[in-house]
Amino acid sequence: MAHPLLTVEDVSKTYDGFKAITNLNFYLFEGELRTVIGPNGAGKSTFFDLLTGRTQPDKGKIEFGTDPADSYDLTKLDEVAINRLGIGRKFQTPSVYAEHTVRENLVLSIRGTRGVFATLFHKLGSRENDRIDELLKLIRLEAKGEWKAGLLAHGEKQWLEIGMLLAQEPRVLLVDEPAAGMTDEETHRTGELLLSLAGKHSLVVVEHDMTFVKQIATNGRVTVLHQGALLCEGKFDDVQADPRVREVYLGRGKHGTR
Amino acid sequence: MASSEKYVPPAPLSDTTVALLVFTVGAVLIMPTLDSFGVIDHFTLNLWGKYLCYALLALSVNLLWGGTGLLSLGQALFFALGGYMHGMYLMRMIGDQGQYHKPLPDFLVFLGWTELPGFWKPFEHFSFAMLMVFLLPGVIAGIFGWLAFRSRIKGVYFSILTQALTYAGALIFFRNNTLMGGNNGFTDFKSELGFALREPSTQRGLFIATAVVLIGVVVFLRWLEGTKFGLVQRAIRDGENRTLFSGYATPTFKLFLFVLAALIAAIGGALYVPQVGIINPSDMTPEKSLEAIVWVAVGGRGTLFGPILGAVFVNMLKSYATRAIPDLWLILLGGLFLLVVLFLPGGLISLPAKLRALWQRFRPNSNPVNAA
Amino acid sequence: MRKPFFIILALLGGFVAAFAEAPQAIIARAAVAKSEKTQGEILTELMGNADDSILPLLDAWRKDRLFLYDAPGMPPVVVLLQGAKDAKGAQQASDILTGKSLAVRLVADDLNAVPHSANLRRIMKAVLDLTDLSSANPAKKLGAIAAIGQGQQIEKLPALEKRLAVETDPQALKALREALALVRLRSSDATIKLSALKELEAQQSLASTDFIKTVIKDATAAKDDKLVAAARSALQAVERHRTVVDFGGTLFRSLSLGSILIIVALGLAITFGLMGVINMAHGEMIAIGAYTTYVVQNVFANGLALSPFGFSLSLPGLHTTGWWRESYFLFALPLSFLVAAAAGILLERSVIRFLYRRPLESLLATWGVSLLLQQLLRLTFGANNVQVGSPAYLSGNWVVADILLGWNRVFVIGFATLIVIGVWLVLTRTSVGLLIRSVTQNRSMAACMGVRTERVNMLTFALGSGLAGLAGAFLSQIGNVGPSLGQSYVVDSFMVVVVGGVGDLIGTVISGLGIGSFDQFTQQYSPTVAGALANVPFVGGALQNLAQDSAVFGKILVLCVIILFLQWRPSGLFAARSRSLD
Repeated sequence: MAHPLLTVEDVSKTYDGFKAITNLNFYLFEGELRTVIGPNGAGKSTFFDLLTGRTQPDKGKIEFGTDPADSYDLTKLDEVAINRLGIGRKFQTPSVYAEHTVRENLVLSIRGTRGVFATLFHKLGSRENDRIDELLKLIRLEAKGEWKAGLLAHGEKQWLEIGMLLAQEPRVLLVDEPAAGMTDEETHRTGELLLSLAGKHSLVVVEHDMTFVKQIATNGRVTVLHQGALLCEGKFDDVQADPRVREVYLGRGKHGTR
Repeated sequence: MASSEKYVPPAPLSDTTVALLVFTVGAVLIMPTLDSFGVIDHFTLNLWGKYLCYALLALSVNLLWGGTGLLSLGQALFFALGGYMHGMYLMRMIGDQGQYHKPLPDFLVFLGWTELPGFWKPFEHFSFAMLMVFLLPGVIAGIFGWLAFRSRIKGVYFSILTQALTYAGALIFFRNNTLMGGNNGFTDFKSELGFALREPSTQRGLFIATAVVLIGVVVFLRWLEGTKFGLVQRAIRDGENRTLFSGYATPTFKLFLFVLAALIAAIGGALYVPQVGIINPSDMTPEKSLEAIVWVAVGGRGTLFGPILGAVFVNMLKSYATRAIPDLWLILLGGLFLLVVLFLPGGLISLPAKLRALWQRFRPNSNPVNAA
Repeated sequence: MRKPFFIILALLGGFVAAFAEAPQAIIARAAVAKSEKTQGEILTELMGNADDSILPLLDAWRKDRLFLYDAPGMPPVVVLLQGAKDAKGAQQASDILTGKSLAVRLVADDLNAVPHSANLRRIMKAVLDLTDLSSANPAKKLGAIAAIGQGQQIEKLPALEKRLAVETDPQALKALREALALVRLRSSDATIKLSALKELEAQQSLASTDFIKTVIKDATAAKDDKLVAAARSALQAVERHRTVVDFGGTLFRSLSLGSILIIVALGLAITFGLMGVINMAHGEMIAIGAYTTYVVQNVFANGLALSPFGFSLSLPGLHTTGWWRESYFLFALPLSFLVAAAAGILLERSVIRFLYRRPLESLLATWGVSLLLQQLLRLTFGANNVQVGSPAYLSGNWVVADILLGWNRVFVIGFATLIVIGVWLVLTRTSVGLLIRSVTQNRSMAACMGVRTERVNMLTFALGSGLAGLAGAFLSQIGNVGPSLGQSYVVDSFMVVVVGGVGDLIGTVISGLGIGSFDQFTQQYSPTVAGALANVPFVGGALQNLAQDSAVFGKILVLCVIILFLQWRPSGLFAARSRSLD
């Protein structure tokens, strides 16, 4: 078996005595689409915080790279460095630049110049412009390219943020509740988009909506977190059938019966 | 912002360009011309020169506050430091024309010095003084900014720390032993580059220099706004985390902006000193910074001309009020500030648009295209 | 009381003859003596005599109110002119010897005042100093003892010795021994000098430093090695003690400054923690508290006339006296809290409630309010500082092992402790506290649970402002009260909030004490480190220069340390670690 792209081993993190993550092991392979589910407080957001350098684990290792001899220790890097390695994150609440136009949001996200002086003298090339047009079409906002992003509807903002994530061309996309606040039709389209990305990119998707999870997890694996620890991992049907999962999550919530 | 609002395309640049043109012609040509023909008196021109220096300070505050969301209470420190550095040159140019007729500044004679302290010596060169105008504020802003942004200090914390920085600076300059004139600072300047400061023509020249620098800074800031850097800057203001997670090292961007703003304030201070004829530690207090913030708030933060408008308007008001109603001036200033923060967050520059909106609300059918 | 005292004194002192004669008689004798020299000798007999009659008579002599009256056919009488002058300018005259009034009234201009030379006046002063030695007023007595010690006049030695024999008060005894030893340093006898040095060393007398140094200089010149060694050893003991005393004093001042910072910062930290509002007008709340104290003081006395904006407003006085007047401060404390709290509520209702969740705007708006309030205070109470007197129970010092502890500061420390405990109890043990904490943690959730967040905001702001008002009442006891009183503390208390972390009581206490101590200790010791600082490359000279101004240096160092501290803990000592995005 190939070496995983993202290796998380024996990671723990506590906040003021509260155990957010306990002895977590997690492996993500190149091109995989992994869905992470778990009830509120299961530690999903902390997990993303740890992967993106927003916070550091108390113990354990987090490594990035398929070649063990040439991989990066993510616990030593900050948000910027991790992002530049090719790990992009979409936040739970859509986080777009409200006062910028949709197009400018994408200009800011597109892969390329990031330094202070480089941005001062950066000229948007035609390749970048083409790419932005392409993305606008993909996220179905081509008519609203000059709108201020703050004026978009909630679902549109979610799409814009996904577009911004794609513009960065990351190797790994960490996507936190992409379908929240979307209509059923939009949700379905989002699912299709994510599925189409798998293979080219590796994805970790945190989600609550079971219909959506079922849609995107048809081929991939599902990880269930409970109270900061790994509860089980496997195919969607197996996970759904697991009595422990039923007990802590599915059996209790309304999602499970849907 | 309600999502039901329809998109309004941004105002075309021509407004800005026209304003810039009017401003340029007005400042550089008309006022000094009027002055040399005696239509306005020298005092008025001098006063306007001071306003333009304050406008530079306001632009510096706005670059950070309006553009980046950093409310710095330290801009008066950089303004005053720029002023002091230029002031040191002007003090040296007094020569032995001081009250004690000694070849060193009066206050040093008064403190019992018979020879010039070492660090004063190079300031007899204009070029060295000008270098220091930029170097000292730049280095201080660089060190402080590096430490502050590195440890992610932001919001109110940043304001409080810059306030403390300014306060510390003022404390140092208030001491006589700092050898920078103590309480009284520098005054009684005689000449600049061989031109007597008393001469109206010199003052006219200084006014033109200030106007040219101001226009240069405005053009530069206008250019900056249009670059990708400008996009990043405003992105930091609206969502620093998103910017950080998009791979922009926001601390570095903020550091660059902080130093840049310090330099703009410093030029303002350096131009201020020969025109006003005095610089002392009271120009360095956190209160001065806050006053500059009032100008920006009153004029319109986040715009290019709002701060300039605010600086000129509030200071005209001040010139009038401190003479006509001295007791009430601070109440007026405090009240004005309060009103603007509470009721007119966009400042004076947003007033026409607001009034237009109000007008259309009362006459909904008069202009259906814009009202839609 | 006094008479038996004298008898004992007289018996023990061996000046029986001198004391047999009443002091009035001695003064009368001196007044008529022929030569100045004789006059001096006679007056010297009064040394150590503590009779109450001496002071008024010698005082009258010094001020030309003692006259010689030559009644026809009689020896000259020494008279004192007293009372109001009548139409002829004549006054009542009394014979000082008998104390009885003369039958005739005399005119001062007709008589010769008893003359006095500089030398005589010096002797009179010496006599009066010694008189104070047996004064019933302890402070006066201690002052006189210390003055004699500092004067080092060997001829006053017998008086001190005499006093030592009868003194019972331990504090005075210690002072007497110290003074004796100091005077004996001037003795020509080497053994006495040595024993005096031993005594000073044992006592660790802080006052003796300069005198011992003189001894060392003289003894070195005279090549008296033994004496030099003894003096050196005494000096060392004294200096060691001084180090301890200085340290203790600094510690005490740290505690007192820290206490004030805590009270001021507590209010700021609570409002910032709860509402995200940094109140720049907090300093003016302090000033309001201080001016409330001022007003209460004046109402307890003779009233107060104010003229804000040209209106004249006069507050009636209660004209209390004695204990009642002294108690004004006890009334001022709760009032200063209430008035500042009311001002806080007004501010919250009129301005701040529109600015929640906009911390930078609220900072700016409250600065506007701060300007307004400062000017209002200036227009109401004048731009100059006003006087707030300390009641007797807050003035004076408590001396512990030579460390002066001002009662006002002791009070501040004690009261700050009470306030911290009180606030802690309010926050943890009352329903209001529960509400405040719930809103702090999750405003919208608390609102959903039916907490009336508006009211909680108001209460919290009132509490925060009230605490600032209390701080103002304390500050009125320590320094001047002026319109910009709060400004000098508010920057420091912002620092306390930044370091302590937001909304955390323990953090505020620790950082308040920490910043207070750091400030005081750098002030105390910066001249000592100034020399070492000169070795720093590049900026050494500037640092050394700066370190000589200890107050400024302390403030700047505090700022530097805070900035460096924040590198290590960006959100303060005890910040609640938040998992939310912003």
